[in-house]
Order: sequence, then structure tokens, then C-alpha cells
Amino acid sequence: MTASQPSPMARTAIPWVTTVARLVLGGTLIAAGALKIGNPSESVMAVSAYQLLPETLALMVGYALPIVEIVVGVLLVVGLMTRVAAVIAALLMFAFVFGIAWAWAHGLRIDCGCFGGGGELKAGQDPSYLLDILRDFGLVLLGAWAARFPPGRFALDSALGLTVSAHTDTPEEAA
Amino acid sequence: MSKGDRAKSAREKIKEQQAAERARAKRKRLVTYSTAGVVAVAAVGLGAWYAASSSKSEQAGAELAPVTVQSDGSVVMAKEGVTKPVVDIYEDFQCPACKEFERVSGQTLKNLAAEGKAKVVFHPITIFSMEPTKGNSVRAGNAARCVADGKQWIAFHDLLYKNQPSETAEGFKPDELVSWGKDAGVTAPDFEQCVKSEKHAQAQLSYSQKIGNEQKLEHTPTVKLNGKEIENNTIFLPQQLRDAVTKAAK
Repeated sequence: MTASQPSPMARTAIPWVTTVARLVLGGTLIAAGALKIGNPSESVMAVSAYQLLPETLALMVGYALPIVEIVVGVLLVVGLMTRVAAVIAALLMFAFVFGIAWAWAHGLRIDCGCFGGGGELKAGQDPSYLLDILRDFGLVLLGAWAARFPPGRFALDSALGLTVSAHTDTPEEAA
Repeated sequence: MSKGDRAKSAREKIKEQQAAERARAKRKRLVTYSTAGVVAVAAVGLGAWYAASSSKSEQAGAELAPVTVQSDGSVVMAKEGVTKPVVDIYEDFQCPACKEFERVSGQTLKNLAAEGKAKVVFHPITIFSMEPTKGNSVRAGNAARCVADGKQWIAFHDLLYKNQPSETAEGFKPDELVSWGKDAGVTAPDFEQCVKSEKHAQAQLSYSQKIGNEQKLEHTPTVKLNGKEIENNTIFLPQQLRDAVTKAAK
């Protein structure tokens, strides 16, 4: 990394911010996945409701998405393969932002299915696209941060010595 | 050892050692990293496979149980003499969840009926109140009411789900419905007229209203086992649906 020498205060603060970002993003992913995983059919429906993917692809995504969310979420929370996990999480969130924006632009009236459910709105319920997009975009930013400044405090990456770069001129970050 | 080696400065030696150490650490890092990566990918694969297999639909059995279209538009599928347990299906041809239910669990219902383990009753209703979904649903429901033969009705029912239109577009158009009817084996001469004139549209709407109130339906599909609603978590998992019904048979 080529960042100019950060101030001492930033040097202590940055890893902690990463940790918080990891926990929030990872925790959200775990919750989202766990709420979906018991009902694969619902997950398939929620994906299909976006009318974005062809049927077979929607099926595959519906089956795989909950477990992907959980695995990536766990990796982030424990801080293992932090950078890879953060990049995947950020891309996932970005895809969700895109999907919701797509649904909105196409005048669909669906529930985002973000935390389970089959994508259908309850009677009298209105879509909450803007809120969903803002939330997911915030999570994209957290993912980007964690990818830029991995692995943060309390990360398995450090404990396992996975963080030392080829040129070991970083101050011992591994606790 | 040669003279030159011995002459190597201590400095160089240390450098070499450090390089070796670095290489070892790098190898170790690579192994740890790949292991974690492989485990993560395997977990994803296993989870996705499990999800897919738990909602895998059953194999088609031999013969369908006899199917009778009743005068109120509901349809009974049961072996002769089988009167319980009763599985009531409240469904809307336009509802995506009903399509999904049909996709994963439709065959289970057919098999249970064919095995004499249940009396299955289909209640096609119109749950939508806004266009275009309401119109789509009514046209499809009307067309199903135009089919009098049980076997053809089931085939038509399945075709309707297979060809379910988007919830945002007008679909289930009269011409389409007529041709799917033919695909389902409908030969009755008045079928086309019945579909196009929406002969039973009013019956479809009033039945939906009546049954919706009576059964306190809030969503489709609603599946009731001996009058008691079965949870969504169960009906979309074919094995669990089968277990629930066979348990009720005892």
C-alpha cells in the first residue's frame, strides 16, 4: 500500500473502524442469510420477483444466496480472508442496490426479500425501495472500507499471520 | 565447504536465513489461505446443494387418482373411498408463490392422492384486487371452470402455472387459454366460447369472496390439512408436506 504516512491517531483508529465495519456488514449478512436459509422456495421466489434473471439462474441464485451470505458474513465477523470477503460482500450489496433500483425503475411492487420472505408485499404495504437502497449502499461503503484497510483488530487473519505483506515495513499489526 | 563460503560475511548469512524464513512464512500463509478458501467454497456448495435437494419435487407416480370437478368450481382428487385426511389448496393461478408451490410440491399432492393417503381439494380463487393481476386471475379461473373433465382439468391447471404471466403485464389472454386447453386435451366444443365470453367470471369472483371469508384466507397458497392451515415452511418442502399429511392419516 502506498498511503502516505498516516498520523498516529489515524493509525490507531483505522483498524478499529475496520473492525466495526466488519461486524456490522458481517452481522447483517449472517442475519439476512439465516432468515432465508430455512425456506429455499421463498428465497427462489424473492429472487424471481425482481424479474431480472432467467428462471434457471433465479433458481440457482435463490438456492445459493442464503448460504453465500452466511459464509461471507462469518468470514467478515471472524476476520478471515478479510479482504476477499469484504470485496465479495461489497459486490453482493452493490448487486442488491442494482436489483432494487431495477425493480423500482420498472414499477414493480415487491418487497426486497432482503431478510426473508417471498418478495410479495403484505396487504396494504408499500415498497420501501429508497430505504433499502440507502441501507445497502451504506453496506457497500463498509465493505469497501474493510477491503481497503484489512483486517482490523480482532481478526483471525492477524492471529494466523496472514497479514504480513512481502515487504514487512508495516509496524507489527499482528497482535 | 569451500573457502569462499566460509568467507561469507555473517551479514550475508543472516540475509539468507531471513529469506528462507520469509519463503517459509509465505508458504504457510498460502496453505492457510487456500484451506480457508476451500472450506468456505465447500460450505457454500454444500449449503446450496442441500437447499436445492430439500425443495426437490417428487417423481411422478404411475396413475393420477380420479379427479372430479365439482359444481362450485372446486376440484377433488382422491382415490375412491378415500375421505381423509383432507388437504385443501386455496390458490390463485396468477400468484407467483402458488406457481412455486406447484413446482416443488404439486407432484407430492398428486402422489399422495394416488397412493390413497389423502383427499386433495383444489380451490382456485382470485385473491388479487388490482389490475392487471385481477383480470389475469379471473380469466384463468374462468377458463379452468370451463373444463369439466377432471383429468383435463389437472393438465390445464399445471399448464396455467407453467405459463404464468408477470404480475405487471396483462396475460392469460383468451387465445392463449384456448390453446393451452387444447394442449391439456380439452375437446369439448363449447370450451372456446366459454373461455372467450368469460362465462364463469362472476362465479369465480363470488366463489373467491365467499371462500375467502369463510376460510379467512390472507394469502395464497393457503394449504389446510383437515381444516387447519399448514405453515409455509412445511408446504414448500415436499418431504415435510408428505410427512405432515401421512401423519394426519394415522
